[in-house]
Amino acid sequence: MRSGWLAALSIRRTGTAGARRSTMLAADTRKTDIACCSSWAWLPAATGHPDLPTRTCTVEIRQATAYRQRLSLGRSGLPRRPGVVHPMSSAPFLPPLSTAAKSSGTGWYWIVPRVAVALFLLTIAALVWWLHSNDLEEQRATLINDVLWMEQDLRFHLDRNAEQMAQIGRDAGDRRLDPQVIEARLRNLIANGHGLLKIDTLQSPAVSQAELAGPARLAGKTGRPVYLPPRSTPDGDVHFDVLVPLGGDLGWMLGRYSIAQMLSQSVPWWFAERYKLDVIDNTETVLASKSKVTAEHDELNYALAFDPPGHGLRLRVTAYRSETRLLPALLVVTIVGLALTMLWSLWALRRHLVRRLAAEQALREEHSFRTAMENSLSIGLRARDLSGRITHVNPAFCRMVGWSAEELMAMTPPMPYWAPEEAEHIRALHDGILAGGAMSHEAMELKFVRRDGQRFEVLISEAPLMDARGRHVGWMSSVLDITERKQAEELYRQQQEKLQFTGRLITMGEMASTLAHELNQPLSAIASYSTACLNMVEHDTGTLPDLKEPLTKMSSQAKRAGTIIRRVHEFVRRSEPKRMACSLNDVVEEALGLIEADARKRDIRISSSLAGGLPDIHADRVMIEQVLLNLIRNGMDAMAACAPERRRLLIQTGADAEGVQVSVRDNGGGIPPEVADKLFAPFFTTKPDGMGMGLNICRSIVELHHGRLWFEAAEGGGTVFILKLPAGGTGP
Amino acid sequence: MNAPESQIFIVDDDEAIRDALGWLFRSRGHAVRTWPSAEALLDSGEIAHCGCLVLDIRMDGMSGLELFGWLGEHGHTLPVIFLTGHGDVPMAVDAIKQGAFDFVEKPFNDNELVDRALAALAMHREQVSKRAALQAIEERIAQLTQREIEVMERVLAGQMNKVIASDLGVTMRTVEVHRARIFEKMGVRSAVELAQVLAGRKD
Repeated sequence: MRSGWLAALSIRRTGTAGARRSTMLAADTRKTDIACCSSWAWLPAATGHPDLPTRTCTVEIRQATAYRQRLSLGRSGLPRRPGVVHPMSSAPFLPPLSTAAKSSGTGWYWIVPRVAVALFLLTIAALVWWLHSNDLEEQRATLINDVLWMEQDLRFHLDRNAEQMAQIGRDAGDRRLDPQVIEARLRNLIANGHGLLKIDTLQSPAVSQAELAGPARLAGKTGRPVYLPPRSTPDGDVHFDVLVPLGGDLGWMLGRYSIAQMLSQSVPWWFAERYKLDVIDNTETVLASKSKVTAEHDELNYALAFDPPGHGLRLRVTAYRSETRLLPALLVVTIVGLALTMLWSLWALRRHLVRRLAAEQALREEHSFRTAMENSLSIGLRARDLSGRITHVNPAFCRMVGWSAEELMAMTPPMPYWAPEEAEHIRALHDGILAGGAMSHEAMELKFVRRDGQRFEVLISEAPLMDARGRHVGWMSSVLDITERKQAEELYRQQQEKLQFTGRLITMGEMASTLAHELNQPLSAIASYSTACLNMVEHDTGTLPDLKEPLTKMSSQAKRAGTIIRRVHEFVRRSEPKRMACSLNDVVEEALGLIEADARKRDIRISSSLAGGLPDIHADRVMIEQVLLNLIRNGMDAMAACAPERRRLLIQTGADAEGVQVSVRDNGGGIPPEVADKLFAPFFTTKPDGMGMGLNICRSIVELHHGRLWFEAAEGGGTVFILKLPAGGTGP
Repeated sequence: MNAPESQIFIVDDDEAIRDALGWLFRSRGHAVRTWPSAEALLDSGEIAHCGCLVLDIRMDGMSGLELFGWLGEHGHTLPVIFLTGHGDVPMAVDAIKQGAFDFVEKPFNDNELVDRALAALAMHREQVSKRAALQAIEERIAQLTQREIEVMERVLAGQMNKVIASDLGVTMRTVEVHRARIFEKMGVRSAVELAQVLAGRKD
């Protein structure tokens, strides 16, 4: 079984080479993937692989280097705009590539992988061809070996037969053995003779057959068997004879072989299974074949001189198509398959790259779009990481605070743009936000300071900043400079105050004559008391104790006058709104004190019903008094045309869950619906000499106190105005 | 004569004013009565005892002017002094035109007010006494017969007895009798005196 062993050996060898190649291919595919997909992890893995073929590895390194170059161009080669830094610079983020890098890269960029692919295909083709030719070589060598062995085997049998024939011939010549034994031995020899048809003993070759004379002589001279030329028989077989000299004068033995029979008896099954064995002559005529099955291809054949018997006979072996060559074929299929896989993966990679480039392009456009958007904003944007360090600011923010983006990003809290007087407060807010507790979108108003020391107010809204994986990495804030708005608000507030003050002055002016009368009362009383005292002194009509009573009364009247003057003074005094805890009932009584003279003049009876135990309100009492006076005077105006007995104004205080309220109810004609809508509008009035600001001022005052002012139709005619204020001495 | 009964009344809704004026008048030795409102005064029915009314022009309820009007309508000829505030002067002037005695603007010169009140009171008393005298004359005239009135008119015209007798177609003696009876009834002693008494009636 030599040839079987050889075949097994060759299979094992090619098998090893194939396995190594497949490993290489797998490594190629993987590395290429890695090199293109992840820019930062490819290098150690690629160089660390020992099995990588040098060429492939080089190509990959070039490819990856090109990619890297593009990356580095994008990182450092980009002209960076001042103040624009990407918010996610700490996170793995691909910065936008510059268009310059892209345009120069597209030309030679694809040449390298294409050349690599071509080289790879050539290599694979050469490898397959080499493998195939190697395989053929192996087969041919095996075939030659087998043919040689076959030829040797045949020769061995022929030689052995000749020897045995010589032996039997000599034994027969000795006549010591029984002829029957000789006969038996001959029969035995024929039976195992590998094509030996018959054996004749010849005394003299020249006797019967002339054609035997020459060979017999040759055999006698050499002492070796001589084979006669083959000759065809009528039944299609080819026979040849062998003349075996017995030595001395014993004669010769003549054996006749049938080539067909010899082949059928001598060729083993495994040989016949694998090869077609022909015996051919000089003219390539097939004299005999082991098998009738024709080989399908005769490239792989080998002819060998068949000597003995010689005479131009040759053994031709043709290999059948082998079915035992599965493994090499599998190997080739594997190689081709892997090559195709690699090509496909390269194509996929290319497609991926193209998409990636498109995505990068889109990203660049998106980025420039967003940058332009951000640059156009007048709202400052600021991104901070979880430790409070600034990671991104937009130009508007830089303009706002006066520091450049780089300077800002190098800072750590406390920031220099925090106003020193509010730094602690801001710090606390800042820490609270960073602690993550305040995920609220509520905007904060803070005071910042510019680099030149100028203060400005900002409105900051914070929103959590998430990275691509949805992880919370920081905070994004929008910073709105609201200094102007604040100033406008302040101006509006001042104007409102002025308006309210003017309103009070107007109210006071309208009440001036009644107030003068009111003040006249105590003054007249004082004058009378003092005159009385003087009279008593002058006329000596009273003792000192007699003077005590008028003097005491005089003093109380002076106080009364003082109270009136104080009320007026407080009412018209120009002051900042001063909100403090006060009793609504007190305010109502104060207002009544101011208005009652007016009411008397107009012949109107004001009655009040003040609830006890009211909670305090947090209010500026002058302002609330102003509102009440306005409401009361409106009520009195409404009743001007009424019959005297209907001129009643009722003032009630009370409290409920919502707060404290005071209602002013008149018995006038009520408010027509067409008037009701614009009642609180500025410069709307129903009075001939009114300015139309009274109720408007009232409402703004009430809103300032977080209260409500409305009116309802009263039962039995008239209107009731209700002022409701939130309870609570401390106030909001 | 009811002179001791006629007093100064003060009507003002301001208690302090009332009290102070009370002290003022008392310091000059004059008692006053005070009323908190016009209604209170009218309800009390003591208006007849008033000799001078010091009245606040502006009050709750019935105002000073309304009370003044009411008094006029009801034939009271009280002298009324209005107390006025600063803005009420035109109103007070109107009141004067309607027959008020005076007005005093607050704050007033108090002794002047007392003087004016006393003057008003005196005037009122005089008027009252005058009115009483006239009433007496009227009563005497009412006692005269028609013939006596005819004779008296001629006496007052300064005609001689015999002229009167011839005019009336009576005797001289009859005229003299009439004349004597006229003098007796009228409480005079001479024609001159008669003329004087009747002159007051004609004023």
